[in-house]
Amino acid sequence: MPATAAATAAGPSNGALILRLFRLAWRYRLRCLAVLGIQLVLLSMGIFGLSFTGIGIDYIQHKVAQTPLAPNKLRLHLPEAWPVWQVLALLAGLILGLAVCRAVLNYVYGVMVNILVQRHLVVDMRGEVYEKLQRLSFRFFDLNTTGSIITRVTSDVQNVRMFVDQVLIQSLIMVISLTVYVIYMASLSPGLTLACLATTPVLWILSAAFSRRIQPEYARNRELAEVMVQRLSESVQGIAVTKGFGREEENRAEFDRANDAVLAQQRSIFWRVSLFSPTVGFLTRINMMVLLGYGGALVIRGQLPLGAGLVVFAGLLEQFSGQVNNVANIVNSVQQSLIGARRVFEILDAPVEVRSAPDAIRRPKLEGAVRFEQVSFAYRGLPGLRSSPDLSEAAGARADRVLHEIDLEVKPGQCVAILGATGAGKSVLMGLIPRFYDVTGGRLLVDGIDVRRLHLDDLRRNIGLVFQESFLFSNTVAANIAFGHPGATPAAIERAARIAAAHDFILKLPKGYDTVLGESGNTLSGGQRQRLAIARAVLLEPAILLLDDPTAAIDSETEHEIFEALDRAIAGRTTFIVAHRLSTLRRADRIIVMDGGRIVQQGTHAELMRVPGPYLRVARLQLVDGRELEGAA
Amino acid sequence: MLVHRTREDEDDEQFRPLSWGLIRRLFAYSAPVRPKVRRLVVLTVIRSIQLPALTWVAALVIKGPITGGRIAGLGLGVLGYGLLAISTDGLFHFRQRYALEIGETVVNRLRAAIFASLLRQPMSFFHRMRLGRIISRVTSDVEAVRAAMQDVLFVSVVQFGQMIFTAAVMLWCDWVMFLVVLAMAPVLALVNNHFRMKLSRLSRASQESFSRVTATLAESVNGIRVTQGFVRQEVNAGLFRGLLADHSNYNIALARTSAILTPLLELNSQFFVAILLLVGGWRVFHGAMAIGDLITFFLLANMFFAPFAIIGNQYNQALIAMAGAERVFQLVDAEPDWVDDPAAGDLPDPRPAAAGARVEFRDVTFGYNPALPVLHGISFTAEPGQSVALVGHTGSGKSSIINLVAKFYLPGAGEVRIDGREIRGLRSLSLHRQMGMVPQQNFLFGGSVLDNIRLSRPEAGEEEVRACAARLDCLDLFEALPRGLRTEVGERGAGLSVGQRQLVCFARALLADPRIVILDEATSSVDALTEARLQKALEVLLAGRTSFIVAHRLSTIRHADVVLVLDAGRIVERGTHPELLAAGGHYAALYRQFAQGAAG
Repeated sequence: MPATAAATAAGPSNGALILRLFRLAWRYRLRCLAVLGIQLVLLSMGIFGLSFTGIGIDYIQHKVAQTPLAPNKLRLHLPEAWPVWQVLALLAGLILGLAVCRAVLNYVYGVMVNILVQRHLVVDMRGEVYEKLQRLSFRFFDLNTTGSIITRVTSDVQNVRMFVDQVLIQSLIMVISLTVYVIYMASLSPGLTLACLATTPVLWILSAAFSRRIQPEYARNRELAEVMVQRLSESVQGIAVTKGFGREEENRAEFDRANDAVLAQQRSIFWRVSLFSPTVGFLTRINMMVLLGYGGALVIRGQLPLGAGLVVFAGLLEQFSGQVNNVANIVNSVQQSLIGARRVFEILDAPVEVRSAPDAIRRPKLEGAVRFEQVSFAYRGLPGLRSSPDLSEAAGARADRVLHEIDLEVKPGQCVAILGATGAGKSVLMGLIPRFYDVTGGRLLVDGIDVRRLHLDDLRRNIGLVFQESFLFSNTVAANIAFGHPGATPAAIERAARIAAAHDFILKLPKGYDTVLGESGNTLSGGQRQRLAIARAVLLEPAILLLDDPTAAIDSETEHEIFEALDRAIAGRTTFIVAHRLSTLRRADRIIVMDGGRIVQQGTHAELMRVPGPYLRVARLQLVDGRELEGAA
Repeated sequence: MLVHRTREDEDDEQFRPLSWGLIRRLFAYSAPVRPKVRRLVVLTVIRSIQLPALTWVAALVIKGPITGGRIAGLGLGVLGYGLLAISTDGLFHFRQRYALEIGETVVNRLRAAIFASLLRQPMSFFHRMRLGRIISRVTSDVEAVRAAMQDVLFVSVVQFGQMIFTAAVMLWCDWVMFLVVLAMAPVLALVNNHFRMKLSRLSRASQESFSRVTATLAESVNGIRVTQGFVRQEVNAGLFRGLLADHSNYNIALARTSAILTPLLELNSQFFVAILLLVGGWRVFHGAMAIGDLITFFLLANMFFAPFAIIGNQYNQALIAMAGAERVFQLVDAEPDWVDDPAAGDLPDPRPAAAGARVEFRDVTFGYNPALPVLHGISFTAEPGQSVALVGHTGSGKSSIINLVAKFYLPGAGEVRIDGREIRGLRSLSLHRQMGMVPQQNFLFGGSVLDNIRLSRPEAGEEEVRACAARLDCLDLFEALPRGLRTEVGERGAGLSVGQRQLVCFARALLADPRIVILDEATSSVDALTEARLQKALEVLLAGRTSFIVAHRLSTIRHADVVLVLDAGRIVERGTHPELLAAGGHYAALYRQFAQGAAG
């Protein structure tokens, strides 16, 4: 994936990342220690259990064949005077008792690890990333796709936590258990231990290398599969185009290509996998051969007991080969957690560019006077995420200045309309007022105070916003209107809805104000959505109202529905409205025409109609219709 | 912002009983690798004997040469073990590779079958079926089938074989002891089954709670401007934490259950060891059993018990795969609501004699649901080269008319005639090849601008595409994009402005050189400059062709040869723009509203 390649190229070194991950794990040190402690106990109990079995076998052989009973490692003296069944029952009881303890401890271990991971690590990290996201400036969201941001909170966080439970804890467990096993085995027979473990390093190296090799292949395969799903989803969404041009066959060939690409790439994975696992299998069986041959010879020569020696060894070897999978898992997890950490830390480290100054001025109620003094704005030095390849183009295109020395004074209650082509800087100009972006030159005053000195919450609570396509949350109508003030009374909500001319249609919805939006059948028309957005904005009784082309996404046939709402909302508030249509522009006290980040014309409709310029050109284009209408009427 | 969410795919069963028919049909999809399937069956049977045989040989070596103290026999025994090991692992390569290939082949063929079935469906199907459902057919359902195809049958055979072989060996060594072993089997099977069912239920609940987390997350990201603008960060963060805590509770419930199962299985095998030691030791002591046989039992017991858990798991997997296969086949087998009449003929292309087609509606009635007609008795004629503007409120039937012209739907009653031929008698493909379609959302596919334009005529060269864009006077706009015509456009044309997207769609339609143009105008407004270019480009596109336009722009309506005013599925007025205005009826009223919006 180009994204991860780019990420490794730039950004912090792996060493710095690992250090940071260690610090993260350090926060949970007590829980990690408890988990490790339990593992250590479990390990010793396992070895004891196995040894009791071995001792039992030796004891039986001793009783049957009258061979001498060698002293065992556990220094367990089986009284010769006891009847056989009593000794066997004792051993069986010990094994069973240990097994019950182990089962309980294993349960505790499983639950504890999960509580550590699911209740603490993941929840803490997701919460942290989410809270950070909520505070990041709009530039961040302009430059990163929704999908990439969501992945950071979901799977990337999961990958980061793997560093704690899969890498750190697992490696410690592995180191501890291998040490214990090796020491115990060596105490039984150093020579046999060495011979049996000769292949182990080979196994580890092999599986670590394999997993490093195969991971990119799997990643590539996931990409190919995504392309295939993407093709399908596009084909369904664009089915009218495909059918309309009669190009079903080409479409199918396209999909088949994407589908077959997945299959072709899988083949090479299959070959690798099916060469690797038999090799690993055979290597572990070599250990068994060594044990049988060399260990068997030792037993025959009487240098190793059959039960407490050979059988126990066989059991321990089995545990050992189980650890091989662990090595591969740990290697994998290290890689994944580093990739995830890079992406998660990028968000946690992204600067919150816009925040209240420490000694910010509190102004719960603003008048609404707005003044731009030589305001410039540039998108320079964007804090885009390194691992999002999709933004490079956009960032390149936007790296220049978008506003040049804007001067503008608006008195409380005035309505200013802004006209201009796409990219003229209209939305940015408006976005500066609630500090969605901060000016990069000059200053912006609200009620005579530089917005950067005002408390951010006060500033934004005094500003009502309606966007081009208003985002409504999948919640009830009432909750959507009360979005900015969740404690609003039903009466206040209804008042806002009436101002926005939304009350009547809301009552016609299946459950009125309690209708949940977005559920099947409860879809609203563009005009209705915008009226809810207006209600949401006016509920706060804002001094300043920002309307970013609120009629853009609405049929011209239904557009008139929201004019009434707009008129009532605008009344008495300082309003900035981006608009293209004369009908809206005319309502303003003042119109400014923007081009290339500058104000090129300003004045009232009547004034601007008298001078040749861009405004007059736009107006003429639209007035053709108007005159015809008058002619017909 | 607590997300209210009804569960999607509520009717989707997680499990389905085994069905012989489904299994046979699934295996039929492995036809391209049929020889491998046969070889694999043989390989699995062999493997089911090899695995326990290995352990048995090890036990024999311990029992014979080692306890008997015969060094020579020991060498032979180890050699035999080594040979058996080589053959086992060597064959395993094929067993594994074949299984993986079979699984992938079936998945590949199933996906192709699903896609082919989709393309067979008429438009009505896509109105009913949500995209998310189709995608989960080619992803999760097909994956469930894959897991079953490459594992369930073969793993179960190996495990069953292993159990039977092990049982036979144990029975032969000491039948009394074997009965003791056997007595524990049902307990194990029951415990295992109980927990598997519980685990899959819990994991589903956890997935659902996770989908609430992601849905909320997606909303938060998409609505971030609203959230920050309304200073809701704190409230949202609190709600999100609540959802996270809820999700973690499901996960921990899941973990608690699985944390019981694994230790329980282990406890079971330890219990068995204790019994073996007690009963076996007693029998050995009394000479009823050899010590070698006791060790054989210790080693083989696990080979007998391990398959319970594995087979239980596989069975579960099989049930999930059955449910997935059932859903996949429902889609593959979906009967199209209608298909072209086999006797249908091609629409002749009389060019250069007539550039446009003659389209005639005769008393057409139509409803997406036949019981609820949305068009009533529609009759009109569009002469070759005429442009027809369709005007009316949302839901008045404009889109239904263009859907009928495009033969995306068939009329319920009455006739639609193209060049005098009834549309039912025309092959859809031949009609579509003479049609140019500009849908409302200006849909663009992933790929470059060039690919998107060429979609209507894949054989066209880049020069043709350029010439076509030049005719629309928008070549300069495309070339000004970061990589010119080769600029990649994302899903739904991200990166291009609305106006640019529309121009790409115009160029696409023009490249097809159609005789009929169907245009569903976008509602969103474009800035004035682009608007002017769009109007010019549209004029070029429509020149000489018969066109149907769902109009949202005044300029488009003014230029139309015929305006059809629709209301509640009926044509209430028809004529040219000036005629209709002069008539002062429905259209004039509508127009006044319209013009008010545009010019005030």
